[in-house]
Amino acid sequence: MTDLLTVDDLVVRFRTHDHTIHAVNGVSFAMEAGETLALVGESGCGKSVTSLAITRLLPQPAGRIEGGRIEFEGRSLLDLPADEMLSVRGPAIAMIFQDPLTSLNPVLTIGKQMTEGMREHRGMSRADAWARAAELLQMVGIGDAERRLKSYPHQMSGGMRQRVMIAMALALTPRLLIADEPTTALDVTIQAQVMDLIRDLASSTGTAVLLITHDLGVVADMTQRVCVMYAGFVVETATTDELFARPRHPYTVGLLRSISRIDADDTGELRPIEGVPPEQSRPPVGCPFAPRCAWRLPQCWTENPPLVTTGEGPVVRTGTDASHLLACHNPATPDEVAVGVPMRPGFRAAPRPTGGGTPGSRRGPGGSPGVAGRPGDSEDLRHERGLVEAAQDVGGADLIGRPLIRNIETPDPDHPERRGDQ
Amino acid sequence: MTDELQAGSAAADPPGSTGAAPAVAQPLLVVRDLVVQFALPGAFGMGRSGRVVKAVDGVSLDLARRETLGLVGESGSGKTTTGRAIVRLLDPTSGSIRFDGTEIATLKGEALRLMRPRFQMIFQDPYSSLNPRMTVGAIVGEPLEIHGMGDAAARRVRVAELLDVVGIPGQAINRYPHEFSGGQRQRIGIARALALNPDLVVADEPISALDVSIRAQILKLLERLQAELGLAYLVVAHDLAAVRRVSHRVAVMYLGRIVEIAPTASLYALPRHPYTVALLSAVPIPDPAVQRGRRRIILTGEIPNPSAPPPGCHFHTRCWLYQRLGTPERCRTEAPPLTDSAPDHRVACHFTDEVSDAGARMQSPGSG
Repeated sequence: MTDLLTVDDLVVRFRTHDHTIHAVNGVSFAMEAGETLALVGESGCGKSVTSLAITRLLPQPAGRIEGGRIEFEGRSLLDLPADEMLSVRGPAIAMIFQDPLTSLNPVLTIGKQMTEGMREHRGMSRADAWARAAELLQMVGIGDAERRLKSYPHQMSGGMRQRVMIAMALALTPRLLIADEPTTALDVTIQAQVMDLIRDLASSTGTAVLLITHDLGVVADMTQRVCVMYAGFVVETATTDELFARPRHPYTVGLLRSISRIDADDTGELRPIEGVPPEQSRPPVGCPFAPRCAWRLPQCWTENPPLVTTGEGPVVRTGTDASHLLACHNPATPDEVAVGVPMRPGFRAAPRPTGGGTPGSRRGPGGSPGVAGRPGDSEDLRHERGLVEAAQDVGGADLIGRPLIRNIETPDPDHPERRGDQ
Repeated sequence: MTDELQAGSAAADPPGSTGAAPAVAQPLLVVRDLVVQFALPGAFGMGRSGRVVKAVDGVSLDLARRETLGLVGESGSGKTTTGRAIVRLLDPTSGSIRFDGTEIATLKGEALRLMRPRFQMIFQDPYSSLNPRMTVGAIVGEPLEIHGMGDAAARRVRVAELLDVVGIPGQAINRYPHEFSGGQRQRIGIARALALNPDLVVADEPISALDVSIRAQILKLLERLQAELGLAYLVVAHDLAAVRRVSHRVAVMYLGRIVEIAPTASLYALPRHPYTVALLSAVPIPDPAVQRGRRRIILTGEIPNPSAPPPGCHFHTRCWLYQRLGTPERCRTEAPPLTDSAPDHRVACHFTDEVSDAGARMQSPGSG
């Protein structure tokens, strides 16, 4: 069986006159028909940009697909002329975005917007399309559909607008639904309704769902497979069950250890991932997560590890038997996963090499080196923090005035790239 | 820290209250029957329509020193308005707010200004809550200046200390907010809130605007500051998992009223209000093995318009228990009072005993 969607070595950059943002740096994944896949990661990790590249809706002229291949049902989407793309977007690949208010046209009624696609792509008559739209609204749980079809987006609540978006997206029974943070703007009770709706409708129509989210709870609830993204790379991918049961990449482990859960006994101390995500304004060097990683080895600063299988045998890219792929020189062991830190005697994360490239330097806008600085800590600082924390454990009540936590690195005059153009 | 800077808060403390165990000392904050109303505008947004929205409708709660109370609910539940009224960013319509023995609900002018250092606020959006044209030093030092704490040199020392405490390097003092990431900005907002050495900090969605990996950093910072400085927190949030993490007790609000308030462990393990049960069951657990076996109660519909709340129990229009019990009339006509259902566990539901059974069943995955 051929895959529904294949993304192969996708590279997307945003170029303005004086900046280049390396948004997606060689992302590959595939989906089969009816499958539910999550792209999970923080803001800036490239998950939304990947989905916009698939639909060729990248902001123009800055956003450019500079490498790779995207195939949908055997057709290369990147080679399609713009007008043929119109017949893909909507009837074949539908999208739902985070904010349903800005995705709906404020000056057209819901009915007008819902019937437009059906009339255009399916050649339905006005009356038929209208009846079908009313039926769809009922299906997504909006009562009084006839009246709602005549109302405007601002007359509806956020949850209701998102239902309208879902109804619209599924009106043409697409083969792929891309849902970009579909419930982030909604309350948790409404999120549960919307997620159930997407799941039920997708499974009844056989639609594959590419779910883009930062919420690992939603991932666990909704998806069969996961790609964990960081700084424009897929750093780990596996079936959802496998990834949650046996995470290996330090970033995945960090994410799982740094979120609170509403259930069960208290899972011990929260372990935040130190530092901040990189800004990706220069070409990546080494592993993108190295500056924040407690497991890093010397080569992590210079060699970006490839995404390879953790098991034996051939790589399976899709479905319930998909291989567990990992891009890491020094993955966490199961014992370390449980506590969230490396547990090897004498092990210390490799210090930043002097004079080497800095993955993902962050500079403040306007060219001044921001304190946001390099993500992660220098070794000295990490050591210093350890001392401070140790001192506090012993006891120290008169705290104000003593460094409690320092997760931002002191600007370092020894690093030439830090001084820059002030 | 200099004595001079501390004087403002130390003088107002009743003798012997510092460091006392929360259980025996009188609560730091006692709120009774707090009501906050907003007048609705008339046609075309002009004038007044004469109608009002009761955003907060008779809220009562206590908060001890060194305690964290989480305030949760959907948007429109009145949780943010409650927080803002308690720090007197809004004027309460009626009710009492006793802060360390002083009634502050009706305080005005200079008397209120003198109390303000003792209760401070952390805001949700680290991008809009810092003045982009002020340096970090000026932002954090502004409360000191307004309240005339120390001279310029002493204030500078204090600002450096505060930045250190929240993990911002001292060199940053002359930089501007745009040079910082969201998490760092939130730290600056926290430093500003701590500048006057408050007893109470109201944190309104302190982490919801931050990236996932940054959230835990801020939660840990808040926990540590509480341990070291003896702060009391009122944390307003919709993230039930984070609230569980940081709170000693949790209050659940629905349409302006507290429907359940209990110690955190008790509330999450055995919720006794049907709304709390539904709210908790709606939060997906980041573990597919657990999540897929859960029984969930999906609430139908959305939170009703607060300008026309349903009669009786506000929640009955969405209540699964009301349906299950055959729509008893009492729920439609009589607002249930907040009463003790277990030690320290207060619930506003006519049929809370039925909930406990259902709640117990929900806890064991796959049993339904």
